[in-house]
Amino acid sequence: MNARAADEQKVALVTGGSRGIGRAVVVRLARAGYDVAFTFRQDAESARATAAEVTGSGRRAFYRPVDACDEKEVAGFAAGAREEFGRLDTVVASAGITGALGWDAVSSEEWRSVFETNLVGQYWAVRTTASDLKKTRGSVVLVASIGGLTAYPEQVAYAAAKAGTISLARSLAFALAPEVRVNAVAPGWVRTDMTAGLYDEPRARAAIVRGIPRGRWGEPDDVASAVVFLASDGARFITGETLVVDGGNVLSWRAGRRR
Amino acid sequence: MAFSYSTLFLPGSVFDLSDSVVLVTGGSRGIGRAVVLELARAGADVVVHYHTREEAAASVAQEVRALGRESMVVAANVAKREQVERMVRAAGEWKGRLDGLVTSAGVYRGPSIEEVTVEGWEEVFEKNLGGTFWAVRAAVPWLRKAPAPAVVTISSIFGSHPGIGGAPYQMAKAGVEQLTRALALELSPEIRVNSVAPGFVRTDMNRGAHEDPEFHRAIARATPLGRWGEPEDVAPAVRYLLSRESDWVTGAVLGIDGGIALR
Repeated sequence: MNARAADEQKVALVTGGSRGIGRAVVVRLARAGYDVAFTFRQDAESARATAAEVTGSGRRAFYRPVDACDEKEVAGFAAGAREEFGRLDTVVASAGITGALGWDAVSSEEWRSVFETNLVGQYWAVRTTASDLKKTRGSVVLVASIGGLTAYPEQVAYAAAKAGTISLARSLAFALAPEVRVNAVAPGWVRTDMTAGLYDEPRARAAIVRGIPRGRWGEPDDVASAVVFLASDGARFITGETLVVDGGNVLSWRAGRRR
Repeated sequence: MAFSYSTLFLPGSVFDLSDSVVLVTGGSRGIGRAVVLELARAGADVVVHYHTREEAAASVAQEVRALGRESMVVAANVAKREQVERMVRAAGEWKGRLDGLVTSAGVYRGPSIEEVTVEGWEEVFEKNLGGTFWAVRAAVPWLRKAPAPAVVTISSIFGSHPGIGGAPYQMAKAGVEQLTRALALELSPEIRVNSVAPGFVRTDMNRGAHEDPEFHRAIARATPLGRWGEPEDVAPAVRYLLSRESDWVTGAVLGIDGGIALR
């Protein structure tokens, strides 16, 4: 491989990069040759471990605790990444939270926090980096969910926010074209801290697998591969799309399941 | 090492297809040809199907060999089920295996409803939809024996968005998308089936359209990314969807259209 000039070293910014899908994305991007700036909320130990994987791949890591829905904090983090790395080629908005279980259990405070963290935070991640991305003709990948595509009565606020993410990808794709591409991935049931409560409960775990035609839970890496593809030059004519990464889950409505 | 197309898509890095045999229908020209070459760069040995352009197919096969992979060509009219079955058998028997199938053979006709003839209707349905279905059906026994089998169908932006003229083509492509979902479900968990839906891509199929300067400009202007697609814009997605890296993706339809359908 030819050695490349430092000004060709590509840089990614990932929100929610210390755990789950975001962490897998950080690690995969580093292996693909990116320096990576990532945010985390509170788990500094996981953030350090993620950063160690980045540096283990021979790339640089820059990470800070950031409230992903606070416009000023996100802008401050982007400025820090800009100062550290000098450019930005890819933004992946992965920070997310779920709310209380049950359609009638969501408080108005929780509507706000679920929407702000999952959806509004993704908007700020793009808004505060758009001018950097325009310079490099970069790209954005937003992490949505199949909850944004199908009924999810257990998590009505989360599902509505993720449907918002899919919409946001379309509008931002239009707004930032032709320089910047914006796409989303919609993961199904992926084994992360967010879903550990269900995965660790044998009956819930098995019930979920019955709805997945591929016959297994997803791993964070399954989603990270899709993100890496959409961020890459191989996806140069793809924008505004949502790629479903769910083992076929959305195909498997009730009448479509094997009995 | 910087992150770029050339490094990301090297064999052995990611989206690798080493040690696999893939049949690409309609591989002599257009999107199919770009797919053949992309898969060869990913490390696959490729069977190149063609209908009438034997020389073009032979030249694509030669390009595959120049990339260090093996290739053979096979002729068939995909409107004829027996010929499709013979094509798939030849592809499978070549190396005694078939790991992937890409159904890129197709034909576009854009008549108004009054101009649609029985022959035109049959041609468009048999080639685009029948040709895809019978190829997948014939490939299933081979694919079931493969370690990580995958099918990628080629739909079109006209499979989900209407245009004026060519209703049968649009209906056939909508059929390809539903075929993709139906078979993704039915063939799970063993065989993955996904689709890509290209927008306006410059190929022989629509030469009349993109060689008309006014239409060419109009489409480029209407496309958020500001240009027509090239066959090489479609091929990497097919590569990703055939690779083990997309092991948890099935039944997906991925638009590759520069954003032209966004509004």
